[in-house]
Amino acid sequence: MDALNESPVISASVNMLKPDHNAGLEALLNKLQPLLDGGRMDNIVDVLALVSDLVDLLDSALVEKLAGLFEDATAVSWSLGNAVRMAKAETSAEEAPPSLYGLLSLLREADTRRGVALALRTLNAIGKQC
Amino acid sequence: MGKRIIIVGGGVGGTMLANQLVKKLYPEIQRGEVRITLLSNSPDHFYKPAFMYVAFNQFFHEELKRPERSLLRPEIEFQVDEVTRFDFSGQHVQTRSGKRYGYDFLVIATGCVPAPERIDGLKEAGDHFYQYQAARQLAQRLSTIEKGRIFITVSFPKTPNIPHQCGIAPVETTLMLDDFLRRRGVRDKVEIVYTYPTTAQLLRNCLFLQRPTGEILPGVFEQKNIRFQRGFTLSRVDPDRRVAYSEEGDEQPFDILMATPPIRAVDVVLESGVSQAENHEGWLPTNHETLQVYGLEGVYVIGDTVDLPVSKAGGACHNQAPVIANNITAEIRLGAPGAVYDGRVQAVAQMGLNAGMPLWYDYAHDVLPTPPSKLGGLLRNGFNRGLYWAVARGML
Ligand SMILES: Cc1cc2nc3c(=O)[nH]c(=O)nc-3n(C[C@H](O)[C@H](O)[C@H](O)COP(=O)(O)OP(=O)(O)OC[C@H]3O[C@@H](n4cnc5c(N)ncnc54)[C@H](O)[C@@H]3O)c2cc1C
Repeated sequence: MDALNESPVISASVNMLKPDHNAGLEALLNKLQPLLDGGRMDNIVDVLALVSDLVDLLDSALVEKLAGLFEDATAVSWSLGNAVRMAKAETSAEEAPPSLYGLLSLLREADTRRGVALALRTLNAIGKQC
Repeated sequence: MGKRIIIVGGGVGGTMLANQLVKKLYPEIQRGEVRITLLSNSPDHFYKPAFMYVAFNQFFHEELKRPERSLLRPEIEFQVDEVTRFDFSGQHVQTRSGKRYGYDFLVIATGCVPAPERIDGLKEAGDHFYQYQAARQLAQRLSTIEKGRIFITVSFPKTPNIPHQCGIAPVETTLMLDDFLRRRGVRDKVEIVYTYPTTAQLLRNCLFLQRPTGEILPGVFEQKNIRFQRGFTLSRVDPDRRVAYSEEGDEQPFDILMATPPIRAVDVVLESGVSQAENHEGWLPTNHETLQVYGLEGVYVIGDTVDLPVSKAGGACHNQAPVIANNITAEIRLGAPGAVYDGRVQAVAQMGLNAGMPLWYDYAHDVLPTPPSKLGGLLRNGFNRGLYWAVARGML
């Protein structure tokens, strides 16, 4: 409560000061002067207007959809990135490239078969959308 | 044989840390010199803060969980198995399935659990939002109350200077409750009373555990016609008369008792005998800086199981995980840990159903409250709905 009671007094006294009495404000104005002179401050006002319009347009449902898209995109790129990193590490650790028989025996591993099934199902789903 | 790192607990702390360790120690993992195993008693990972929204009918069960395996880098060995015993001198853990896992480094990330049974009558008469089922039950009550009195209380652990889970949650849910009842059109017939115990960590007779935030709360509550009372330390509840009693000698009637219950570490940590925390609460003696457990070789702790004075929050795990990842890596590569945790926690507090307030603090600084805003609310929603899962994967 004390803090609340104090705050109006502080802001009132700031408002009463003339800009040339306030070193901070003066420094800010000096920095802004070239923007004001060049008429480029208008751009800043435009940006502020755009941001405030965007904030008004955004609602929880839209944010939920955007966040969902973000999750989908990051999850897919994360899985693919992981897979490529791991496959690359394992492949480059092999002195000679695997023989044809070696390649086939990869298929014996359950994880490989799961991966192949995923790739085939992905193609299948892409086919459905064609 | 290479070094074995075992992480126990697939919550936000354990998951982030496991992923970050893979990244840090990739050369050693590739050469087969380091193996990382995560043991968790659940195949699923829950976004726990969503339970708070469940209490207001805003999140479905399916939206707040993901399979833990899908959040872990493939280099991590993941086993769904409950740890039933830590053998620190023998450097192994025992699991429910009867297996034994030896380790060179162990990280305990088992979180904490609500313990309403530790206050007489609270389990029978109280409601809370710290677990899914409990939050659903509370939602049912909040969605049907037409008139009466909702009494909000907060219980702190008895161990000095340890906070309740997610410090700001009681304030968040009080403000959400006010909005929720307004939307339902019954707010003018339901009295909301927010209370806080006499001792809140280092503070006395406050409305929050940090002074600057505590000082702005009366103004916020008065605007919304929420009554508040300091110095109410819940001691017992009479489920038949529906009255809450305080240690200070007060008694308060309620129609709904929305209570932040006592909390404790999980059984296996309580039984490990390492904790000296009061009231058999189980917090592990944690080095403030390195996050090692005092007195144990190669053992670290993250998240809700620590005995640090910072909030038990995902936002704390987020800053602890990189420190532990660096320290374990340094122990392996250089022989001694070097990174330091500064107590940092950050979050976006939900201030009502739509507004949010970004905040941070550390060992040396309290939260400096800023005005709750719509943009803050959208940020929080974006985090709840998508960003969180990237954070758990260690991407953000
Ligand atoms: C309602 C609510 C709101 C919250 N709001 C926020 C918020 O806004 N911001 C924020 O930052 N934080 C918030 N939190 C806090 C945050 O969720 C926790 O601090 C965080 O989850 C702690 O992470 P952890 O990894 O320590 O434990 P947890 O996430 O609890 O994970 C513990 C894991 O260990 C596993 N486990 C337990 N025992 C064993 C065993 N014996 N063997 C194997 N596995 C085991 C469990 O299955 C679980 O997977 C909130 C919490 C709640 C409940």
